[in-house]
Amino acid sequence: MRALVSRIALGLLISGTGVAHSGITTPKFAYTDHTLANGLRVLVAEDHYAPVVSVAIVYNVGSRDERKGRTGFAHLFEHMMFKGSANVADGEHSRLIQNNGGRMNATTDQDRTLYYDTLPANQLDLVLFLEADRMRSLDISRENLDNQRNAVQEERRLRLDNQPYGRTFEALQSLAYENSYKHLPIGSMEDLNAASVEDVAQFFKTYYAPNNAVMAIVGDVDTKACLARVREYFENIPSQARPPSVDMSEPPQAAERRQTVEDPLARLTRLDVAYKIPDARSPDLEPLQVLSLALGGGRSSRLYQSLVRDRQVAAQTGTAVGETRGPGLFQVFIAVTPGKPVSDVEEALSAQLEAVKTGELAAWELDKARNAVRRGFIGSMGSSFDRAVLLAEYTAFLGKPDKIFTQLDEIAAVTAADVQRVARQYLRGESRTVVVTVPKAAPKSDGGEGGA
Amino acid sequence: MLRTVAFVIALTAAQTAPPPTKTPQPKGKAPVSNEILRVKLPRPAEADLPNGLHLIVLEDRRLPQISFEIIIPGAGGYFDAPDRLGVAAFTASMMREGTTSRTSQQIAEQIDSMAAGLSASTGASSWSASISGSSLTEHFDRLLALTADVLLHPTFPQEELDRYKPRTRAGLVQQRTSPQFLANELYARILFGPHPGSRVAPTLESLDKASRDALVAWHRERYVPDHAAIAIAGDISLAEARSRLESSLSGWKKTGVPKAVVENPTDLAGARIAMVARPNSVQTSLFVGTQSINRTSPDHPAFVVANRVIGGGSSARLYNNLREQKGYTYGAYSGLSAGLYRGSWQATTDVRTEVTSPAIDEILGEIQRLRSEPVPDAELQEAKRAMVASFALSLESPETVINYYITRWQYGLAADYWDKYPERLMAVTAGEVQAIAKKYLDPSRLQLVAVGDAKIADTLKSRGTVEIYDTEGKRISLP
Repeated sequence: MRALVSRIALGLLISGTGVAHSGITTPKFAYTDHTLANGLRVLVAEDHYAPVVSVAIVYNVGSRDERKGRTGFAHLFEHMMFKGSANVADGEHSRLIQNNGGRMNATTDQDRTLYYDTLPANQLDLVLFLEADRMRSLDISRENLDNQRNAVQEERRLRLDNQPYGRTFEALQSLAYENSYKHLPIGSMEDLNAASVEDVAQFFKTYYAPNNAVMAIVGDVDTKACLARVREYFENIPSQARPPSVDMSEPPQAAERRQTVEDPLARLTRLDVAYKIPDARSPDLEPLQVLSLALGGGRSSRLYQSLVRDRQVAAQTGTAVGETRGPGLFQVFIAVTPGKPVSDVEEALSAQLEAVKTGELAAWELDKARNAVRRGFIGSMGSSFDRAVLLAEYTAFLGKPDKIFTQLDEIAAVTAADVQRVARQYLRGESRTVVVTVPKAAPKSDGGEGGA
Repeated sequence: MLRTVAFVIALTAAQTAPPPTKTPQPKGKAPVSNEILRVKLPRPAEADLPNGLHLIVLEDRRLPQISFEIIIPGAGGYFDAPDRLGVAAFTASMMREGTTSRTSQQIAEQIDSMAAGLSASTGASSWSASISGSSLTEHFDRLLALTADVLLHPTFPQEELDRYKPRTRAGLVQQRTSPQFLANELYARILFGPHPGSRVAPTLESLDKASRDALVAWHRERYVPDHAAIAIAGDISLAEARSRLESSLSGWKKTGVPKAVVENPTDLAGARIAMVARPNSVQTSLFVGTQSINRTSPDHPAFVVANRVIGGGSSARLYNNLREQKGYTYGAYSGLSAGLYRGSWQATTDVRTEVTSPAIDEILGEIQRLRSEPVPDAELQEAKRAMVASFALSLESPETVINYYITRWQYGLAADYWDKYPERLMAVTAGEVQAIAKKYLDPSRLQLVAVGDAKIADTLKSRGTVEIYDTEGKRISLP
């Protein structure tokens, strides 16, 4: 029931994959891959280490598919999926999963909606039944819609409207894009108010079809028996016409875009800079990830060492590479030290970006990226949930999940020259979007806040 | 007394309100396995090293990674002098900023190039400091060498302290923008008064005052192995861990200092209402709760079940009422903390400003319902089953399992505590849950904290005397 503000967090999760380099064994796992008669793609990976099973279902729909006037709808719809279906009462899904020792939730971003459950393995039937029943027969009522509209509007207040920098995220996205990445998955209050029961019914029919979904099951199951159960529960759910595709192409950006946001809830000035990069299928994503880790990963990173520790113009720095199905963003964010002008920070940032364009990364910085990806991969291998999500998302995005296993090789193959090339190619002044957030009416006490 | 009376009046109002909207009846068609998977947690191997350090190792060879945590009692923020808050936390943070053989930058590069983790930290009210780390197996020896250096030979360079202060200051300023931080801070203050349990974060003044000498002394006197433990989980055996620690930490000598003592807070004098007037708020962040129990209290299992019933997740009463029925919030939960000193229990939620008053009524109503009515059997069984069955999930993660055993060590619980814990939960009766609610969640002990727009003061005042604070934590009066 979370609406990711952007794809960043997930992108970082996904980037934690790969296989061995330098002769060290990295675990792999086997899986089967079937497509049911109705088009539902099902991947199963057995793991008998713990008596646990995780199920992840990715529906190929996100805020990118929303039409004008209905922003936030994909996420609002996600909430409706917990309000009951033909054989499951309102709230019964969550109660049955939790009261049998499980965890469940869902999340919507620009590109996909993900539902997930982890349970003791003896409850496999329960979770398959619950997921199939709502894929087949969602119970759509005005009362439930109004209730969840309230919940989602409170979610928006909680995450954006009542927090500092909430408007910053919206402004950056809106300024950077022409396509439907222009708005955040949480949507606007007005559009949420406009959503109707008919919208819900149509959206369900169009996007929540078995042929628009990928399901991954990982854990203490017998693959053959599990697949038989899956067929029993899911295979007679009718498929639907293929949903309309969305044009995600972006016109080339010819000049810098810049906006200042006055934020009455913020105390520190914040600088956000975003550069357009290709979609997640591009081989340039790997060198961009290495670049991101060198610039913004941890206390050894160039931005931290230079802007925070050495020059003390920033209190916090970070970078992220969006892994999106349409054109992504390479993002830099910096919290400005109280009393320091934002121009000093921009200048210091420019110097660091110039350095990665004109010079090469050190060997240890390449090691850092390789090890980070490797650790991420190994860490996720311990969790049936992580593996189920990786299998379902990669399959939904790329058509097959192989990249889970090949990504480390791809990262390991990145050279310092590759990183320099992508820095030159993508971190260009004219293709960047800058949002400067300044605190509005900083409090009187403790001088210094307010920044530039 | 007046405040208490006002609270009781508010409660009465909630009780006489129309009965709560219906909870939809389950259809009961989904196939549930009635068997609860009884799992036995793997037991770690434990040993005591000659310097007093207690070693807990959970060997798990599945993946080539190892994580550890060193827990150092007596080095936590609990023990900060009241006029020097934060020295414990600053000391922990500064340990990575330079040693006799490594600079701050070298430490950061060496850790990050392995993509390892290494951090030292302590909570503002915590009994202990903690140094935790993790790495791939192939890097573990290097990580351990770095850890030993940071633990035993930090130099707290003045130059690094001068750099540390402005960025920490910015963080302290920044966190005051979070309504949840402000609510938590005021709630702890109301709940624990002068007791260190009230500490949530250092102040800007105490940061300014912190000197290199104070950090050096804190480290010298308090980072001792006498009562400490190290818990290690992953691709390593007890014997391997022991031999590595005996060589890498050979310089960590026993000092003979006695174990640091922790006191309970004084009992609450009565109900209180306090708020932070936070300009531009569009929601009210609410905490309603009271002091709870010590971790070793015999009431613990029943309190855990009571908490689960009222607010432990999205199948519990608060969530169902305030979100699913009323649509006031994105979430409403309760939490129980119980430690070496009496902890806290609280219901928390964030609601849009306009429904602040009815939301408080609903929370108080749910507390009252737990006190006045036994939990129906089906609901009680579901709550207990939820907790017991979920143990199976923790088996996936050695880090989760070893945390159970850290708890066992920390509170001196019996060796078979976790083996018997599921039975203990399952044995809790509706009468015991109700008795817990009656004993601890009495209206005369409830504390209400709200963070939101100044206009909520009016609705709070109808419930009793309201203490009002600004976002800096200063007492104010509204015009």
